[in-house]
Amino acid sequence: MTAAPPPGPGDVAEPDRPGAPDLGTPDPSTSDPSTSDPSTSDPGGPADPGGPADPPDDVAAAAATGVRDPEPAPEADGTWKRMHPVTPLVRGWAVLAVLLFFVVQQRGERAFSPGDGGGGDAFGRFQLLFTLGLVGVGALVVAAWAYVTWRFTRFRVGEEVVELRTGVLFRQHRRVRLDRLQAVDVVQPLVARLTGLSELKLEVAGGSGSDVSLAYLRSADAQRLRRTLLARAAGVQVDETGEAPEAPEREVLQVPVDRLLLSMLRSVWPVIGAVALVVLVVVVVVTGEPGIAFGLVPAALGVATGVWGAFSRGFGFRIAASPDGLRLRHGLTETRAQTVPPGRVQAVRLRQPLLWRGPDWWAMEMDVAGYAGGGADDAGKETVLLPVGTRAQAVEVLSLLLPDPGCEDPAGVLGAGLEGTGRTHGWVDAPRSARWLDPVAWRRRGYRTTGTALLVRSGRLVRQLDVVPHERTQSLGLEQGPLQRRLGLATVTAHATPGPVRPRAEHLAAPDAARLLAEQAARARAARSSAGPERWMEDLAAASRGAAGATGGTREGAAPDAGGTGPSPVEDARPDVVARPPAPGREDAP
Amino acid sequence: MAARADDGVFDPEGVSWTRVSPRLATVRRVGSAIGTLVPLVPAVLLAVLLDRWWILLLWLPFAAVGVLRQVVIGRQVAAIGYAERDDDLLVRQGLLFRTLVVVPYGRMQYVDVTAGPVDRWAGIATVQLHTASAGTDASIPGLPPAEAERLRDRLASRGEARMAGL
Repeated sequence: MTAAPPPGPGDVAEPDRPGAPDLGTPDPSTSDPSTSDPSTSDPGGPADPGGPADPPDDVAAAAATGVRDPEPAPEADGTWKRMHPVTPLVRGWAVLAVLLFFVVQQRGERAFSPGDGGGGDAFGRFQLLFTLGLVGVGALVVAAWAYVTWRFTRFRVGEEVVELRTGVLFRQHRRVRLDRLQAVDVVQPLVARLTGLSELKLEVAGGSGSDVSLAYLRSADAQRLRRTLLARAAGVQVDETGEAPEAPEREVLQVPVDRLLLSMLRSVWPVIGAVALVVLVVVVVVTGEPGIAFGLVPAALGVATGVWGAFSRGFGFRIAASPDGLRLRHGLTETRAQTVPPGRVQAVRLRQPLLWRGPDWWAMEMDVAGYAGGGADDAGKETVLLPVGTRAQAVEVLSLLLPDPGCEDPAGVLGAGLEGTGRTHGWVDAPRSARWLDPVAWRRRGYRTTGTALLVRSGRLVRQLDVVPHERTQSLGLEQGPLQRRLGLATVTAHATPGPVRPRAEHLAAPDAARLLAEQAARARAARSSAGPERWMEDLAAASRGAAGATGGTREGAAPDAGGTGPSPVEDARPDVVARPPAPGREDAP
Repeated sequence: MAARADDGVFDPEGVSWTRVSPRLATVRRVGSAIGTLVPLVPAVLLAVLLDRWWILLLWLPFAAVGVLRQVVIGRQVAAIGYAERDDDLLVRQGLLFRTLVVVPYGRMQYVDVTAGPVDRWAGIATVQLHTASAGTDASIPGLPPAEAERLRDRLASRGEARMAGL
């Protein structure tokens, strides 16, 4: 949605006029001025990080065009920048690894082949040279391509938009409005970590492939840029000192490694694995053919990969609360630091598998527009809100997302939602006739509306509780099949943005369902009219007060300046919070 | 389990439904008839080539379903309705499996108006609302083109007036 920029003058991927012939010259200092967008106030593009950039030019340009913002982060000064020069290497390492693998494999085969007596003959030497030459040429081609790609990738961070130009033959110019930002991730794959680089991912709600990926930047730069972007998206005017202040953060919880391991042991996979192993042994013993075991190697590998992935993703999981959003950091090989601004979480699901009941652990998932739109390789990486945590931790995380529970007895309501049945604490459950359609879990099914959110519980063996804030409901659905109709039941669905959480209140009594639909439509309307997506710095103050009150003060303060060392930078910045002028089309459909 | 009376679950209070054009039934009947006749072709071919007339009987189930659908389509189309309230659009569909979708205007991301060749011949079009959720299935088939355009513009203008981000 946001990813499709309105074609402005010069927005259409215009070929870089002097840039095109300049393609072959390896001199990185020849920056071509034509790449700067003529529609903006940026006459020059001395954007090379490594080249002899021309600072006086830049300052003069800024002064001439009256740019007010005094360069909060070097990357965010509104000029076209390139990624870090090492990027091609980090991106191309896989290709090089494959090439090396082939060489090693060939050498290995030759070393072990009996006919080759130590490589003394000329033919062997020639073959070796040939191979090396081939590898060298391949590496050169890859390097050249990576270099060209890098040369053609530029980004620009402006006051209100981020632009990214990619592509050598098929050019793409993507422009993302900062007020449409859904989340910002700093991702460090293993190789990037070794080289001290990070990828900055800006998520917008545009479906698959709509994110803007700035890969790779120096880690410190990426952090600074993330800060600046979030401050600008929040509407904080960066003050004269230049740097956007790092929003103070308060660590909420860490997931210890032993708990993560135990939680994985308590899942269904070890059980399935054990059963499969027993069956396998029995089959092999009975048939006397051990070859059968090898047929299962791929399946075992698949399961092992999945388990390893879950462990690697959940490793070192930390949640911190800060004014610019919820911060999630996790990962063993590939680390990921996610920042989800307030109000960008569309729905939350708390889930408790059967075997987690003893220690009363819960896992949480979230819907964030933009996250689920990613490719399949990103599935499950970004939507985990809490891999495993105690109930108190889960409730605390929930209270961060929903500071005002909007009901009298939040603990009781939540308790009934997490493990209760029946009509306690204002819950509306499914009637007895629902047992014909859902013999196991019908007692658990039910919903509860509070002043701020819709809660839907389900699941007898695997308990689930879905929470959707009223102002995040996209639309509502009512469904009734022939059997449900006969039994006087109906299902209500709250449609959230694509993601793992799909709240469905199934098999409610038909009048209850009708009432829920009618009331929910009205409530969502009221909640929407009072909440705007852009004012999260203003919401923050109220939110943190609400959170402190709502959780009964169990934490020593949810206010952003919990550190207690004088007024926090955010408090300082608050007077500067600029209620942006209601520009026409600001709220228009993305 | 005694079947309860239809308690107006799909009829919220104070909602007057607008029906879609009966020409939609015609279009759907034509489509259904074509779909029913298609299996007849191989049946006839086989019957003639193999000289086994009973092969034609295999088509009878298709024919039965086809006849049933011809009867049901009229009621199905009559069950489709939509209502524009002040802040949201209601779309109702289905006889056996009934659905009702409530889409707030402010949640609308874009509106599609589509019409296939048969639709155009019959003079109807489909208006579909899209929100940021993939689960929202709010499509209104069988609108006369003028009404479809009016609805599209009206939805778009109302959505603009009540827009809220995500």
